[in-house]
Amino acid sequence: MGLLDKLSCLLGLKKKEVHVLCLGLDNSGKTTIINKLKPSNAQAQDIVPTIGFSIEKFKSSSLSFTVFDMSGQGRYRNLWEHYYKEGQAIIFVIDSSDRLRMVVAKEELDTLLNHPDIKHRRIPILFFANKMDLRDAVTSVKVSQLLCLENIKDKPWHICASDAIKGEGLQEGVDWLQEKTIQSNSGCEDMKR
Amino acid sequence: MLKKFDKKDEESGGGSNPFQHLEKSAVLQEARVFNETPINPRKCAHILTKILYLINQGEHLGTTEATEAFFAMTKLFQSNDPTLRRMCYLTIKEMSCIAEDVIIVTSSLTKDMTGKEDNYRGPAVRALCQITDSTMLQAIERYMKQAIVDKVPSVSSSALVSSLHLLKCSFDVVKRWVNEAQEAASSDNIMVQYHALGLLYHVRKNDRLAVSKMISKFTRHGLKSPFAYCMIIRVASKQLEEEDGSRDSPLFDFIESCLRNKHEMVVYEAASAIVNLPGCGAKELAPAVSVLQLFCSSPKAALRYAAVRTLNKVAMKHPSAVTACNLDLENLVTDSNRSIATLAITTLLKTGSESSIDRLMKQISSFMSEISDEFKVVVVQAISALCQKYPRKHTILMNFLFTMLREEGGFEYKRAIVDCIISIIEENSESKETGLSHLCEFIEDCEFTVLATRILHLLGQEGPKTNNPSKYIRFIYNRVVLEHEEVRAGAVSALAKFGAQNEEMLPSILVLLKRCVMDDDNEVRDRATFYLNVLEQKQKALNAGYILNGLTVSIPGLERALQQYTLEPSEKPFDLKSVPLATTPVVEQRTESTPITAVKQPEKVAATRQEIFQEQLAAVPEFHGLGPLFKSSPEPVALTESETEYVIRCTKHTFTDHMVFQFDCTNTLNDQTLENITVQMEPTESYEVLCYVPARSLPYNQPGTCYTLVALPKEDPTAVACTFSCMMKFTVKDCDPTTGETDDEGYEDEYVLEDLEVTVADHIQKVMKLNFEAAWDEVGDEFEKEETFTLSTIKTLEEAVGNIVKFLGMHPCERSDKVPDNKNTHTLLLAGVFRGGHDILVRSRLLLLDTVTMQVTARSSEELPVDVILASVG
Ligand SMILES: Nc1nc2c(ncn2[C@@H]2O[C@H](COP(=O)(O)OP(=O)(O)OP(=O)(O)O)[C@@H](O)[C@H]2O)c(=O)[nH]1
Ligand SMILES: [Mg+2]
Repeated sequence: MGLLDKLSCLLGLKKKEVHVLCLGLDNSGKTTIINKLKPSNAQAQDIVPTIGFSIEKFKSSSLSFTVFDMSGQGRYRNLWEHYYKEGQAIIFVIDSSDRLRMVVAKEELDTLLNHPDIKHRRIPILFFANKMDLRDAVTSVKVSQLLCLENIKDKPWHICASDAIKGEGLQEGVDWLQEKTIQSNSGCEDMKR
Repeated sequence: MLKKFDKKDEESGGGSNPFQHLEKSAVLQEARVFNETPINPRKCAHILTKILYLINQGEHLGTTEATEAFFAMTKLFQSNDPTLRRMCYLTIKEMSCIAEDVIIVTSSLTKDMTGKEDNYRGPAVRALCQITDSTMLQAIERYMKQAIVDKVPSVSSSALVSSLHLLKCSFDVVKRWVNEAQEAASSDNIMVQYHALGLLYHVRKNDRLAVSKMISKFTRHGLKSPFAYCMIIRVASKQLEEEDGSRDSPLFDFIESCLRNKHEMVVYEAASAIVNLPGCGAKELAPAVSVLQLFCSSPKAALRYAAVRTLNKVAMKHPSAVTACNLDLENLVTDSNRSIATLAITTLLKTGSESSIDRLMKQISSFMSEISDEFKVVVVQAISALCQKYPRKHTILMNFLFTMLREEGGFEYKRAIVDCIISIIEENSESKETGLSHLCEFIEDCEFTVLATRILHLLGQEGPKTNNPSKYIRFIYNRVVLEHEEVRAGAVSALAKFGAQNEEMLPSILVLLKRCVMDDDNEVRDRATFYLNVLEQKQKALNAGYILNGLTVSIPGLERALQQYTLEPSEKPFDLKSVPLATTPVVEQRTESTPITAVKQPEKVAATRQEIFQEQLAAVPEFHGLGPLFKSSPEPVALTESETEYVIRCTKHTFTDHMVFQFDCTNTLNDQTLENITVQMEPTESYEVLCYVPARSLPYNQPGTCYTLVALPKEDPTAVACTFSCMMKFTVKDCDPTTGETDDEGYEDEYVLEDLEVTVADHIQKVMKLNFEAAWDEVGDEFEKEETFTLSTIKTLEEAVGNIVKFLGMHPCERSDKVPDNKNTHTLLLAGVFRGGHDILVRSRLLLLDTVTMQVTARSSEELPVDVILASVG
C-alpha cells in the first residue's frame, strides 16, 4: 500500500480495500447477494448464471470490498483456486433449500479448507444459509451441522440465515465480516497503533 | 507513450526499440505483479504490452505458463483504468488460443458489454466472441442479439463483425440473428450498415436466390454507406459472373448506375467491376473507361493510381477501348509518383502506336532504378506484349531487357525477363543468337537455380542448331565446375544434346562428360554415365530417342508398371510401350494473351485424372484383361441437351484393342427413380459391341455411371472413325418427391440420345518431340506414306493448321502451329503415339493459292498408324 493510500485511509478519506471471494454451488444465490449489497443505483436488474467470474465492489461503513463472484457450476469450480492467494475473506453461500446437494457443498468446502493457499491462514469465512424464505429451507443451525462447521477451529467463521431477494440477513453478515477483517488484518491499524 | 516509442523506432530504423531484448521468462515473471493489490495500472499495461509483443514476434508460450499469465491478467479487471482494460481485451484475444480455461472471463466481458461505459462495450464484444466456442455460444446469444441492434455504432459494428467470424464454426446459431442484422442494415451509420450487409450476405451466400433478393432490395431502397455500395457491387458482379454475365441483367444495370454515384469510392468500384467482368465488350467498357479517364486528372494520387492501374489491365485485352485516354495517360508519364508513371507508360505501350515506343522506352529507363520489382515486372509484361505485336521492334526491346537482366532484382522479376527473352527467341529466329549469348552471360552469375536450369535446357535445345555451337560449351561447362548439383545436372544434359547433334564436337563433349562421371553428386554422375554410353554408340536413333527427345510416359504410370513388373517377374523384358503416356505434353504451351508470370501447370492434374479413370475401370470385372488404359477423352461429351429430364455425358476410354464408353448420368426428375440403366449403341463401322455394364439405380439428382464395351474393327482396322447412335434403356419407378418412397412396380422405357463420334484423335495421344527432325530420322522411312489433298473450303493457312491439329489430335512441334505472316507456304510438324504405343509422326506441307493444298507425309514404326492417318484425312 502506497504512502498516499495509507494517509488517506488514516484520515478516513478513503476506505481500506478488502478482497473477498464469493464461493458456493451454482444457483445458491451468490450473485444475487452481492448485487443486493451494492448501492441501489448500481444494482443489476436481471441476474443470470455466472460464467467464470465477475468482479463487483461494494462498501460497508468502514471498508471497501472487492468481491470475486465466482461461478458455482461444476466445471468451473476447479478454477476458484486461481484466486485464493489474494483473498482476504471468504463468503460461502449455501442454498438452504437444496438438501440434496448439501453434501456436494460440504465436499467443496472441505476441499477449500484443505487447499494449501487457505489451510494455514486465519482467513474469516462468512456463511450465508441463503433462501431461508423458501418453504423447504432448513435452519442455519441445521446447515452448520450438515457442513460440520464446528470442526473449523483455526479460522473465524459465522453463519447467517439470509434471503437475498429481500436482502434480509445480509447486513448482519457484512457487519461481522467487517469486524473480523479489520481484526485479522494489519494495515490501517498498524498505523494507528 | 507507446505511440511515441513506435514513431521514434521508425525514424531511427529499429535502433531504439524498447522491446528489442525482451526475454520471455523475465516478462512472465514480471506478470506476477498482476496478483498484487492495489493495482498499478500503468505498470501493468506496460507488462501486457510486452507480452503481446512477444506473442506477435512468434515467441512460443507453453500452455501452463500462458494459463498462469492469463489468470493473473484476469485480476486486472478490478481496476477501472480504461487503458489497462483495453489492454486486457487485447490480451484476451491474443491468448484465447494459447491459454486454457479462457472462458473464465466470460461474465466479466458480458458485464462490460452491457455496462454503461461505451468505450468498453465494443472491444468487450469482440473479446467475448473470440473466447466463445460453439458450445458456449448459446449462453451469450441473447447479448449478441442485443448488441447487434445497439444504438451505439461501435457496439453494433463489433457485434456484427464478430458474428461474421463466428459464422465459420457456428453457422446455425448465427443464422438466427438475421432479423437483428436486418435491422442494423438500415442504420444511419455507414460502418454499421456495411457490416450488417456483410453479415447478411455471408449468411445467405450459398443461396443464390436469397442473394439476388437481397441485392434488389437494397438497391431499390438505396444505401447510405459507400462501403456497403462497394460490397453490393462486388456481390453483384460475382453473381453476374456465375450467371454467365448476361449484359441485360438488372445486376449489370445496377453496377452501371453506380458509375454515377456521388462517392468516388463507389464509382471506382463500379468501374473496376465492369472492367473485370469476363466477356465485356467495347460498348459496356466505354462508360467505365470514361470515369477512369476523369480520375486520371484527379489531384488525389490514390485515385490516379487506381485509375491508371485499372486502365492498364483493360489495355491488356482491349487496347482500343483505352486509346481514348492516351492524352490523359501522357500527362501521367511525368507524374512525380513513380508507380503511377510506370503504369501510365506501360499502358501507353499497349495502346499507343509503334512510333511512340522508342520515346516511351527512353522515358521509362530514366527511372527504372527507382521503382520496385513489382512494377518492373509490369514493365516486362508490357515489353513482352509489345514483342508479340511489333516483331520488328525486338532489337530495341531486347536491349532493354538485357540491361534489366544485368541489374539487381528478385526472382519474380528475373523470371519475367527470362521468360520474355525466351519467347522472343522462339518467335524471331534472327534474334536467337544474340538472345542466347545474353542468357549465357546471365547464367555466369545467376543465383536462381530454376532460371539457370531453364536456360541450360534452352541452350541444349537451341544451341546446336546455331551457326557456331561451340561458343556455348564454355558457358555450359563452367556450370559443371562452379555450381551446385541441380545446375550441374542440367548442364550435363545440355552438353549431351550438343554431342548428339554435332559430330565435330562429339570428341570434346565426350571428354567433358568423362570428367563429370567423377562428380560428387549421384544424379550428375548418373546422367553423365548414361549420356556417355549412349553417345559412344554413335547411333542417330539412340541419340534421338534417349537424349534429344525425352520420356513421354506418365511418371506415376511408369512407377506403377515397374512395381507390377517386379512383383510378377517374367521372362520378357519390360516393355516401355505398356506404360500409359503422360496426358499433357511436358513443355507448356503459352497462349498469347496470358501474362508471362501466370504460369499454369496442368500436367499433374491431367495425370491424376487418367489415373482415377484407370482405377475405376480396373474395378469393373467385365474390363479385366483389356490391358493398360491408353487414353481417356479430355472432356466428357454431352449426349443430351441441357435442362432435359436426364443429363448424360460420355467419356471415351481407348485400350489397345477395345474402347469403353463411360456414361455419367443424372436423373433430374424428382418423381422418378431409374433402375438398370444401359446405353445401347449402334455403330456405323465394324465396331462390335461386347457388353453393357448397367448402372444399378439412379435416384433423383444422384449421379450414376454405366459403361458400354466395344471391340475395335478387325476386318478393316483403318476404319477407326465411326458414329454410334445411342439409346438409353432403363426401368422407371415412380416415387414420391417429398418422402422419397418408391413404387415396387416399374416399367421399361427408352430415351434417345445424341450420336457419339469416335475420331482418329481418340486413338492418338499427343506427344511433344523437342527435336522433331531427330525423331523423324529415328522412326525412319520403312512405313512412310505420302499423299496430297486439296482443302477446298479452307481459305487461310492458320485455319488449315488449326483444323489439322484439332482433327488429328497430335502435338504440333517446334512451334510449327504458328504461321508466319505474309507467307503462302508452311510446314506443320505433328507428333503423337498411336494406340498400342507406336510413335506416329506427320509432316504436312501446306500451300495457299486460292485454296489450300496439303501434302501429308506420315511415318511410324508400324504400318497401321500410317494407314489410319491417311485413311482418315482422305
Ligand atoms: N427464493 C429465493 N431465491 C433466491 C434467493 N437468492 C437467490 N435466489 C434465486 O436463485 C437463483 C440463482 O441465483 P444466482 O445469484 O444466479 O446464483 P449463483 O450462486 O450466482 O449461481 P452461479 O452463478 O451459477 O454460480 C436466481 O433465480 C435467484 O433469483 C433467495 O434468497 N430466495
Ligand atoms: Mg452467479
